[in-house]
Amino acid sequence: MKRPKTRARVNLDRRDFTKIAATAAGSSLAAYLVTTGPLSPFANLKQQQLSLNDDTHGPVSGPHWGMAIDLNKCIGCEYCQRACSAVNDVAPDKPWNIVVEDRTANGQKFYFSRPCLHCQHAPCVEVCPVKATYVREDGIVIMDYDRCIGCRYCEVACPYDARKFNWEERTDENPYVPTWGVPEVDRRPRGVVEKCTFCVHRIDAALERGQTPGEAREATPACVNVCPVAARTFGDLNDPDSPVSEVLARYPTIRLRDELGTQGSVYYIPAGEEPTP
Amino acid sequence: MTSITLRKRRFEFTPGTIFWFGLIGLLLFIGIVSALIVFKEGLVVTNLTNTVPWGLWITIDLSSIALGAGAFTLSAVVYIFGIQRFRSIIRLAVLVGVAGYTSALLTLVMDIGRPDRFWHPWVYWNVHSVLWEITWCITLYLTIMLVEFAPVIVESRFFNNRPGLRRFGHQLHKVAPFLAVAGLLISLLHQSSLGATYGIIKARPIWFKPSMPIMFIVSAIAVGPAVTMAVAYILEWVSGKRTVAHELLRTIARFSGLGLLVYAYIKFWDLLAVTYYGATPGSELAFRTLNLFTPYGFGFWVGEVFFGILLPVLIFLLPRFNRKPALLVFGALSAAAGILINRWNVTVSGLIVPVSYSPGTEYMLPPQAYTPALIEWGVALGVIGYIFLVFTLASRFLPIFETSEETQKLS
Repeated sequence: MKRPKTRARVNLDRRDFTKIAATAAGSSLAAYLVTTGPLSPFANLKQQQLSLNDDTHGPVSGPHWGMAIDLNKCIGCEYCQRACSAVNDVAPDKPWNIVVEDRTANGQKFYFSRPCLHCQHAPCVEVCPVKATYVREDGIVIMDYDRCIGCRYCEVACPYDARKFNWEERTDENPYVPTWGVPEVDRRPRGVVEKCTFCVHRIDAALERGQTPGEAREATPACVNVCPVAARTFGDLNDPDSPVSEVLARYPTIRLRDELGTQGSVYYIPAGEEPTP
Repeated sequence: MTSITLRKRRFEFTPGTIFWFGLIGLLLFIGIVSALIVFKEGLVVTNLTNTVPWGLWITIDLSSIALGAGAFTLSAVVYIFGIQRFRSIIRLAVLVGVAGYTSALLTLVMDIGRPDRFWHPWVYWNVHSVLWEITWCITLYLTIMLVEFAPVIVESRFFNNRPGLRRFGHQLHKVAPFLAVAGLLISLLHQSSLGATYGIIKARPIWFKPSMPIMFIVSAIAVGPAVTMAVAYILEWVSGKRTVAHELLRTIARFSGLGLLVYAYIKFWDLLAVTYYGATPGSELAFRTLNLFTPYGFGFWVGEVFFGILLPVLIFLLPRFNRKPALLVFGALSAAAGILINRWNVTVSGLIVPVSYSPGTEYMLPPQAYTPALIEWGVALGVIGYIFLVFTLASRFLPIFETSEETQKLS
């Protein structure tokens, strides 16, 4: 049986048309206002997102603290790890700085050391459910130990294994004190995550005194000061005359897993055939 | 009137009930003692480490939330798609959801290092964090489920002489459709965000993929209703009363079977894309490590694929099997086990492959190992005891198998 053809007729008078047009215009205006426009509760967020997408994110004016590590110079003495553990009173089995033996692709032995890389697009900062860790204006990624709930998502998310959790209340004697330095910060309480701070307490105090981190010893991270072969340099990446900028200008450097877009503040001079002149 | 007299029957001590309550008491005792030890000593008593910071408890969180997904799926079926014949199982589905979500929250409080700061995500917002969003969604959705469940509680005989409260409960029932819409949106969001928790971690090559949230939500939608179906059968066997029509439960089983097929389809392409066609250096190395040193390949094929998908699909979809209630319950338990094994595999296999970041060299930590400590199992047993207790008390004291209209007529 053949179906009778039905013809749909649309009756639209001018009034209906005006109504529809007005509704459409009104909704799009409202949508704009509450999503990205001035009425939006997320307007700040949007701005933040936009600025995050900006490649030149990070400190636009003012310093951006960074470090360079020369893998050709490093002799694997672990002094950086010890001084760091003493000054920051870090548990000996959960060091913030690590030093390991490694080999290049063609078998040449070298020593690899790693602090926190202080990423400008830090995966750990993105995932924290309570904003207990954040990137400061000067590029340093630090923890708010009073806010951390100890979920350890940041530890899971860090591509560099740079975060350590306080599984228990610490009562241990720090074996590196006083030989390698004395504690300058409090021990972290049980149940929070901790990490390398670029010795932020030194930087903040020194800036108030008018000293330059990376040049004045009191203003420079303990690992940089203690290195017997000066494999580590520290300073303001935005200042072309800082020690770290000079190293970056002279040698080709890489950042660890740069393809992840983490934008770390620590640069490496890779181990090569020839020692760095 | 008969149903009211039935509900007022006295509690009797038979050997069966004594054994059952003894078991629940024992499980809860083990759980509470373990929890107290964890609170006192800190998470150091677990086998979690800095390389494997998440383990059994996270698996329980993820699984119990996924298995509670029957609540939002069946609520959507009734209130949004208007398929009224499923109304008789809604209350049970919401009860399963409440049990699942509350056990997830209990385990979560055990798992965080600072349980005293559990409220921080509500106050200190990081809108970029999926974990923050999940915390909010779970809070909101648990509230929705409790509001949905409130009429059931006020209809129980404890409130027989509080007519005002009962009327309020029935008023609440009228907003159920709105709650179902909100619940559907929130559930779709957080059930998939649980997968995104892993899927967005670019540091770990075997997690970092867009299929992660999709696989989590599809598996939850497929298996959640099946768990509700199994609970309905089990309560029927225990109480000896036919409560939900078997034809309805069979329909739910068929739905779950189809859902599992969709899950299997996505999983198939995911596997092919990641291991066969993709095989990026990172994931290649990670999978080789897993296959050489760990039993996770076996766990995937036998646990997730055979017990989690194949077996339940056959039971749920073949007419010769899905007419037998015992087989349907077995299929649902098998599928639920598949979810548990999947969530475990995802969590632990991703973590025991160490992250590799050294510049272009062979530096690679050995694969880590993780087996839960006894105390972690102790907390898990406590959670199981809690779930048993919820179902026992609810089935004994609450009118979970009546619709609101019926009880209104009766009272």
